[in-house]
Amino acid sequence: MNKILLVIQREYLTRVRKKSFWVLTLLVPVLMAALYAIPIYFALKPMERSVVLVADESGLFGGLDLDDTLRGDSRLVSTENVTYRYVANLDYALRQMDGDAEVDAILYVRSRASEAIPTDACLYYKSDMPTQTMRFDVDKQLQRILRNRLLQAHGISDDEYALISNTKINLRTEDLETGREAFLDIKTGLGFVLAFLIYIVIFMFGSQVMRGVVEEKTNRIVEVIVCSVKPFQLMMGKVIGIALVGLTQFLMWVVLTGVALTGIQMSNSELFRQATEKHEVTELATKGGEAVAQMDQAAQFADVPQMVEGLAAINFKAILPAFLFYFVFGYLLYATLFAAAGAMCDNDTDTQLFSLPLTIPLLLTLLLMPVMINAPSGTLSQVLSIIPFTSPVAMMLRIPFGVPLGQLYWSMALLLLTFPLCTWFAARIYRGSILRYGIKNRLFKKKSK
Amino acid sequence: MFLLETQHIVKTFGEFKALDDVSIGVREGSVFGLLGPNGAGKTTLIRLINRISRPDKGELLLDGHAMTDDDVRQIGYLPEERGLYKKMRVGEQAVYLAQLKGLSRREATHRLRQWFEKFEIGNWWNRPVEELSKGMQQKVQFIVTVLHEPRLLIFDEPFSGFDPINATLLKNEILALRDKGATVIFSTHNMASVEELCDDIALINNSRVVLHGSVSDIRKSYSNNLFEMVVDDGEVLRLTVPEGQTANDLLSEQLKQHRIVSFHEILPSMNDIFIQTVKEGGQR
Repeated sequence: MNKILLVIQREYLTRVRKKSFWVLTLLVPVLMAALYAIPIYFALKPMERSVVLVADESGLFGGLDLDDTLRGDSRLVSTENVTYRYVANLDYALRQMDGDAEVDAILYVRSRASEAIPTDACLYYKSDMPTQTMRFDVDKQLQRILRNRLLQAHGISDDEYALISNTKINLRTEDLETGREAFLDIKTGLGFVLAFLIYIVIFMFGSQVMRGVVEEKTNRIVEVIVCSVKPFQLMMGKVIGIALVGLTQFLMWVVLTGVALTGIQMSNSELFRQATEKHEVTELATKGGEAVAQMDQAAQFADVPQMVEGLAAINFKAILPAFLFYFVFGYLLYATLFAAAGAMCDNDTDTQLFSLPLTIPLLLTLLLMPVMINAPSGTLSQVLSIIPFTSPVAMMLRIPFGVPLGQLYWSMALLLLTFPLCTWFAARIYRGSILRYGIKNRLFKKKSK
Repeated sequence: MFLLETQHIVKTFGEFKALDDVSIGVREGSVFGLLGPNGAGKTTLIRLINRISRPDKGELLLDGHAMTDDDVRQIGYLPEERGLYKKMRVGEQAVYLAQLKGLSRREATHRLRQWFEKFEIGNWWNRPVEELSKGMQQKVQFIVTVLHEPRLLIFDEPFSGFDPINATLLKNEILALRDKGATVIFSTHNMASVEELCDDIALINNSRVVLHGSVSDIRKSYSNNLFEMVVDDGEVLRLTVPEGQTANDLLSEQLKQHRIVSFHEILPSMNDIFIQTVKEGGQR
């Protein structure tokens, strides 16, 4: 028993001391923080102002009225990001653009042959593509002016129009038991992420076990070690040691990511206060139902807090322990098999033959995810989340949608029971193969004691 | 008495009989040569002694009792194919391997420091193994093998890869350990070193023990009655005793013709005996 602890200690310490371990440990939180920070950065970054020359030969967008007397709803209005300057015609605009480096684009609307409403406008540019902000703004304003013209022509008041355009059906999916919104989209996304994540960690740490075994075998240190330690102890020491490495890394990821995200929130507290406010306004609007103005106000805020609201609806207290359980036991199940496969290999190139086929059950489950996501509680999902070799991935996909406790317990119990069986089987192969090389290895694999 | 004894050991791998009725005895405090061509079954036998695997039939006795798992602590084994973790530091790795043999960390460190000084590799303690030359790695492996002061030492081709200076250093250390009471099993193909070091040998061929006994007895039993005689004018003569006669007859015959300076028997070398025995038995 003491010896297995020594093996665990060595496996753990040699890996944790490696530079690559720390690089990976730091890299993941940095990536997560970046994912989180980039949208915030762009929300805060002051936009460059673009200058657009408007050559409206149709006169519909205020083009023939160069003295600014028209109301804002009949012409393009300069905004924070875009400045509009009306010019008489395209030729003049083109000359202006050549002479003035500040001009970014020309909006050109052709003169009308008939009284028909024009449906064609063009944004000319040179070398630098117009920014998305500029294109959106031009498009939005053109639509607005056009809409106002049509409303006037048909005698519809602004209030009437607002009522028509703001009244929508909001289709929600609600759980009868909890009465809460289901947020299926977010759960689907989370399910995919969790399932991929668990596959990646099982594969990553499992192949570390295999590489460790092959290393010992190819450099022949195993010949010395099995004289002091039973092969089973050596194998389990390695499997457990690497499991601890994995847990350490995972824990650091969680903590460091948490710290990084909190830091980002703190340094941008104003933005987050706004986001929270929007969330509250939305709540109010949905509850009140009547307030069109409030809806409008709510729509002004960014789309992010919708996500936050959805995330809040997910039961993280159930997901984290489940992830940890399926990570640990899924890893243990596969790690012993990886160790056995490693013992049968003579060199690193052999391991490449083994490592992918070993995880075929998990890969298959990943491939079936689109089918399962369509019916998270369907027969396929249920079967795959019970079989121990596929359950880590399948269960992670299902967990965000809520899994009946009975099924969860069955799945966990089967995984727990399969682990010792798998270990026993793997230990037999490991013991029989670890000291055999080349052809001999294959010949006597089965019969050895 | 025998420190280690194997009794009628049989070990098969599938259809293949790796050891067949192998019985040897290793006297306490002796150097025992375990000889045989490649693939004869030496490594299999050594692994049985190390309890890495179990015999199908027969018994292994240490000090007269059936061996148990605890007995491996009394064994130090230096395999022919040997290695170390390349990325680990030398000292740390040696301490780890010693701890696996049951030494405490403190005791292991203490003893290792002494050995490292003796082998003049003290300043390599904190270097990764991959920076060491092959010879130095072998020194480390030797130290780790003997560090826990086992009663039974098993060396498989210990001198391969050593330069003559280090090989001599190692040989002297092995003999010193024997003088302190350790028993040594020595597996090699170098028959000159067998004659030099071994008290007893067992020759295994085709999974069976074909020759077993003390080196001098075996050489005597393989005597082909060849004598070497030096006469006073410096001439060296080699003579075979004819059938039905003794060496004395031959000598008295020769005395009539020469003034003899020396007269002694030429025993066949272990090399000759090895080749002769294995050829007779047929090699797989």
